[in-house]
Amino acid sequence: MISLDFLENVEAFVDLNDDQLTAIQGCCEIAEFKRGEEIFAAGEIPEYFWIVQSGQVNLTWDAPESPTLRDTITTLSEGKPFGWSSLVPPYRYHLSAHCASRSCKTVRIARDRLLQLFEKDAQLGYKVMSKVMMVVGQRFHELQDEVARRRGHDIINRW
Amino acid sequence: MGALDFLEFLEKVDIFKGFDKKQLEAVKKRGQEKKYLYADRLFAEGENADRIWLVIDGKVDLRFDLPGRPTSEENTVFSITAAETLGWSSFVPPFKYALSAYSATKSCKILQISKDHLLECFEKDPRMGLIFMTNVAAIASRHMDQLQKSATVSPVAKVKITVHMSTCGIAAGARQVMSALVDEIARSDRPDVEVASSGCIGHCKNEPNVTVEIGSDEPVVYQKMTPDKIRQVFKEHIQGGKVQKEYVLNHF
Repeated sequence: MISLDFLENVEAFVDLNDDQLTAIQGCCEIAEFKRGEEIFAAGEIPEYFWIVQSGQVNLTWDAPESPTLRDTITTLSEGKPFGWSSLVPPYRYHLSAHCASRSCKTVRIARDRLLQLFEKDAQLGYKVMSKVMMVVGQRFHELQDEVARRRGHDIINRW
Repeated sequence: MGALDFLEFLEKVDIFKGFDKKQLEAVKKRGQEKKYLYADRLFAEGENADRIWLVIDGKVDLRFDLPGRPTSEENTVFSITAAETLGWSSFVPPFKYALSAYSATKSCKILQISKDHLLECFEKDPRMGLIFMTNVAAIASRHMDQLQKSATVSPVAKVKITVHMSTCGIAAGARQVMSALVDEIARSDRPDVEVASSGCIGHCKNEPNVTVEIGSDEPVVYQKMTPDKIRQVFKEHIQGGKVQKEYVLNHF
């Protein structure tokens, strides 16, 4: 079982009290992957919200002009949440996720169960979504950097 | 705008989708209307983001401004129209606007609401905060889609330069070539030049390779590029129209 100590340090759950963390804990499952294995693909309809428990996960953006070309937008390690698109309309992953270490353990939470918790406890939902929004912003900026690189406009890295 | 019209407008705004009447009433207490004329700047990239901006009517362009150059429509990343919202950076560290916003119509009417007021409302009514944050994330998600599309489509590009940045190309110095190329483009003020990167084309011994495509002309592949050689190719071929034959690998 995932410990409350682990959950309270996850970026998306830092403001939650013990009752709220316990509710989240009841929805967690462990999923393990080996190096290079796909966790999810961009464009898929997400079923889970994810957290890295150990190892590393790469979020990648596949180049449309070359399906074999894959650019890493960011590498996530322990405690980092990913797959925020599972909680936000139109519910579609923007990036792909792959295991980037020899093996990695992830905690996954079924989207439907998490959204039900939000419905039951709006304060929990508000706190989590406020933090998730920060993850979204971070990802947006990382993607902006990548777009600038792809368009060859290094000069606009100052966005 | 009258009180009733005001509520009707707020109901339609993307960021308040799902709010009930009482929640909309709470929001509207501190709303401040402003009018901008064509090309007026609403805010600049890097300024503190402390409010959200709702477009009542007109259109607002979000652009990346290039240092030392006047703003240009070509650098518009998104356009926002009536009942849409700007300024979600207010809820994301480092709480600075990531792009600059300009009025893109003869005039545009805006409603500003301070972030602090919204956060006070959410403290009292977390359900309101939950709906709002989900809506804000959905808008950011939409912008992310547009951003991803904008990376692959250059509406004004007539010249495409592809640097083949495979492992072999990078080992041979493709990154330095890309960097020199970007530098040349930035200096040249050529918005019609699109730069792309792609994988190996099977000539590893002759890397770094760069492919130049101008309009409907045959693509030209250059071999063993260095920063100096790519600068020469840019000046002589892209700007001067003369293929630099001594560096050409092949014509397709």
